[in-house]
Amino acid sequence: MNAPGSMNEVPETLGEEIGGNGRVYFENVVIDNLIDALLELSGAVWTHHDRVLVLEKVLAAKGIDVSDAIEAHLPDDAEIAARAAERDAYVQRIFGSFIRRPTGDLPGRQAESQGDN
Amino acid sequence: MERGHIGILPRPTSLADESYLEFVTTFRKFAIQQGFPTLAMTGEAALEKALESGQVARPAEGESVPLGEIRKVFSKIPFVPTWQRFVRSQQEMMWRRTRESFVKTADKTMADMAAAEASHPERIDIDPDFVPPDYTRCEIHCQPGGYTDDPLGGLVYHYGTKIFYEGFNDQDEVHVELAERTTVPDDGKIERILDIGCSIGQATTVLKDLYPDAEVTGLDVGLPMIRYAHMRAVQRGKDVHFKQALAEDTGYPDDHFDMVLSYIIFHEVPVKKMREIIAETFRILRPGGKFSIYEFPSNDKGQVSASQRFMIDYDSKNNNEPYSPAFVASDFKGILEEGGFVVEPGPALSNDFLQSLVATKPA
Repeated sequence: MNAPGSMNEVPETLGEEIGGNGRVYFENVVIDNLIDALLELSGAVWTHHDRVLVLEKVLAAKGIDVSDAIEAHLPDDAEIAARAAERDAYVQRIFGSFIRRPTGDLPGRQAESQGDN
Repeated sequence: MERGHIGILPRPTSLADESYLEFVTTFRKFAIQQGFPTLAMTGEAALEKALESGQVARPAEGESVPLGEIRKVFSKIPFVPTWQRFVRSQQEMMWRRTRESFVKTADKTMADMAAAEASHPERIDIDPDFVPPDYTRCEIHCQPGGYTDDPLGGLVYHYGTKIFYEGFNDQDEVHVELAERTTVPDDGKIERILDIGCSIGQATTVLKDLYPDAEVTGLDVGLPMIRYAHMRAVQRGKDVHFKQALAEDTGYPDDHFDMVLSYIIFHEVPVKKMREIIAETFRILRPGGKFSIYEFPSNDKGQVSASQRFMIDYDSKNNNEPYSPAFVASDFKGILEEGGFVVEPGPALSNDFLQSLVATKPA
């Protein structure tokens, strides 16, 4: 939780519950990680779907031939670096759960996740 | 960047955030509306089979199958951990991205709340020496910082619960319904209304719309909630008062209110505090006043299905609802009656999972 008395300073990151190793629900933790990866991937695909849809509408309103322009575009060094950084974050979001929970043998797993104690 | 509102709902600060969070909303709708019935159907069928085979002892008339037995049977179904993973991951994705998005415009939000307080200081009551007790400083529903510890918590709660409600409360539709169904005193005298545990004042402002001549107040322990509620009301031209205080220690005089509303507050507090809140509400409600309550089911005598009990138990442990199992097990209606109230069933909501009660302070 936040330190008392800092109610006007907004911390950049916060949240004990959504941090840490997270929860495990399967005997094989890889299944937990695969589902997290699938969810992040689905979220990412939808996000890009939306963006392309908006992009096409914006460009069409300006009378620009989108398909040809996209194929003809060659990124410069700065754009290549920016896209690489964005891609790193993308891979981290999708596959980060495998690092977050490398094993199913996490502290408090039985009591917290399954409630079958 | 600030991207305005969709009706009365703030937009996430980038198209990418909005698209991602819309995906999370739609996925939650799938997990709850299609996933939970699938879990319930397969779980109840497996339990019935276990009862028939004698693997689980059939309970005596009026008794329920022990929760431990329900857990054992349900946990053998492959879809159960899948559903648990779905719901937990969705909740984490929702809070993480919602907060990341609105942190980008935090300075503006903080400035807007300060401006609202400067323009209408008479409508917000904050005690700078108030310290939320530890039992309230809990990351309920996994919200980062909970209701008390994130200065941006009101806005994060607003968009996070938009997702929780699966897109059906974007324009406060749920709160409009429950405010409209809040019971009025038989004598029709409505001078003061209190909304306890009001969070960001969604029902509070609707009560003011419905009863414009009444003094309407929202009370909550969370300063971030109260500040955001006040800002939202000021920006929308609603003359509503907000106060940061404990529902068990409101600071109001005896017999002060004609109507009190509580929406899903009691399962978020320990039973001891529930009793104190009921006693305090009885004290501040005037004789003949009405206390409208919408809440989790309680005092289980077989009316809560095995699958719902499994879900509430899961929710308590995995969605940070530490107090809800004790609430569900408690005789809530009996405790209200012990507190002096006359309790009757209240008008139902579209969400039929919740119980609706109207508690009257005898005249």
